[in-house]
Amino acid sequence: MSRADLAAGKVIRMSLLFRIQHLILTVLLTLLAITGFALMYHENSLARWIIEFEGGVHNRGIVHRVAAVLLMANLVYHVFYMLLSREGKPELRQLFIVRQDIDDFLQSLRYNLGMSKEYPRFGKYGYKEKFQYWGASIGILLISFTGIMLWAEEFSMRFFPKFILDLALIIHGYQGLLGFVLLYLWHIYNVHLHPSSFPMNPSWITGKVSVEWLREEHPLEYEKLKEEGLL
Amino acid sequence: MRKFAFAALLVFLGGAFLPGFARDASASIALEKCTLCHGKPEFRKLLVDGQIRDLFVTGDTLAGSVHAKKVCADCHFDVSEIPHREHPKRVTCTHCHFKGNHEGAPQSDNVLAYFDSIHGQAIARGNTKAPLCQDCHGSHRILKAKDPGSKVARVNVAETCGKCHMEIYAQFKTSIHGVALAKGVAEVPSCTGCHGEHRIYSRKDPKSSVYATHVSEKCSSCHSSVKIMGKFGIETEQVATYKESFHGVANQFGSRTVANCSSCHGVHDIRPPDDPLSMVNPKNVPKTCGKCHPGANPNFAVGKIHVDAKNKESGIIYWTAAFFKWLTIGTMLALVAHIFLDMYGRTKRLRGER
Repeated sequence: MSRADLAAGKVIRMSLLFRIQHLILTVLLTLLAITGFALMYHENSLARWIIEFEGGVHNRGIVHRVAAVLLMANLVYHVFYMLLSREGKPELRQLFIVRQDIDDFLQSLRYNLGMSKEYPRFGKYGYKEKFQYWGASIGILLISFTGIMLWAEEFSMRFFPKFILDLALIIHGYQGLLGFVLLYLWHIYNVHLHPSSFPMNPSWITGKVSVEWLREEHPLEYEKLKEEGLL
Repeated sequence: MRKFAFAALLVFLGGAFLPGFARDASASIALEKCTLCHGKPEFRKLLVDGQIRDLFVTGDTLAGSVHAKKVCADCHFDVSEIPHREHPKRVTCTHCHFKGNHEGAPQSDNVLAYFDSIHGQAIARGNTKAPLCQDCHGSHRILKAKDPGSKVARVNVAETCGKCHMEIYAQFKTSIHGVALAKGVAEVPSCTGCHGEHRIYSRKDPKSSVYATHVSEKCSSCHSSVKIMGKFGIETEQVATYKESFHGVANQFGSRTVANCSSCHGVHDIRPPDDPLSMVNPKNVPKTCGKCHPGANPNFAVGKIHVDAKNKESGIIYWTAAFFKWLTIGTMLALVAHIFLDMYGRTKRLRGER
């Protein structure tokens, strides 16, 4: 934390590399959603317009596949970064799902329902953040399998009968829909539209959050930084 | 006496040129003149290629046809001398058959459609083998298309087209459509059912009803009709499932290389799937798919080709789709519930702080 940041009451939450990865993810997922749902709901007039805008079904496929390859590359890079880099390793450790997360989830439910007065105290990543992180990572991994299978359809049909590919198509489409719902309903609300950050959490651009926000939303992280003398 | 008769004939002939005057009288005389020679059964001509051209015509030749009231010179109007000094030209039907004619000929633009068609264009380019009106409709025995005896009636038109398109006719005759046509099935298409009547274009012409992006539309005009297909126990969902498939979507967006109905089922040789010669017989599916997907193997024939994920008969595909549908709905509900709970709890927390 630089002195200027501290003077302004700011803490770094996302390093530049993570911000870049996040931005790439945002752009690519949006692109994949637009091109993918245009095909899935091709009878819809808006979808038709999108496909025409992209230059027909053939070009739509190219855009979708280029975006998918970049997304997979982004994920592979991220995996290596989390496993090997000095910054990634401790981050990954904080992202493991532990017993505490389940307790926190139940505790927050109890609190929100008025059955308890204690709201759970989160570390850098609470159960909501972990759920999004693993959901997105595993989701991208899974959807890549069906995607590659459908892309290399002549190759996959050397091993699988046709109905497996039909199945892959169904799974790919619905999984995309599920992922889209998670991202644009849950993630956007929890991170940006949530009353604590409304209209948005600036950390995805600046990388910084305010100290008060941290104390309010992630008290354990706040206390840890305080103990380490970083605040 | 003969001289007098001849003079009277001339007077009558003169009358023939005045419209509406003594028309019937002149007509019968013109016919009598022609049948002087053409009425002899042995009146025929040996052509250079060895074929014999029958020139036998009697007063009954046009009887029963749509031109029953016409006479020879109405169509063969270029014949003015007997014997003909010049070879009479082929009859030009457009002399009467054009929109706005005063002859009482059917008022239609079919002739314009014909001239735009591949046949008409071939004629315009000087192809003497291309068909004129009379090549399909017949010359003297022209009947209305609805008349089962007409050369262009649905039951006969394949044979008429087959005079030139011999190989295709042979294929068609043994196809499911051809066999049904021979059995007298009323709904089955003949050549014109798919290709159109006067508006016949090359399949490579975007105007054609059998152009790559129009084929599915053409087939579905019958095959999506429960009323028609129900009679023969054929499913109609094939049309909808094709449209939902990758092939169908690409086709709807104008791809000309993607498979349409006829790419897999055949064109003139369409046969039912249980026929060993059918392109979609499971044994032949790898070869059929292999036309576009190199190295296609028997895996291509495992599972239904026309899959409808919304139909329970699709088995695992239906259940997977249903599972994901409810998973998505369930997740959405859970997330929305969590969001509202969170908002509720948070407002409470803020109030408490205050």
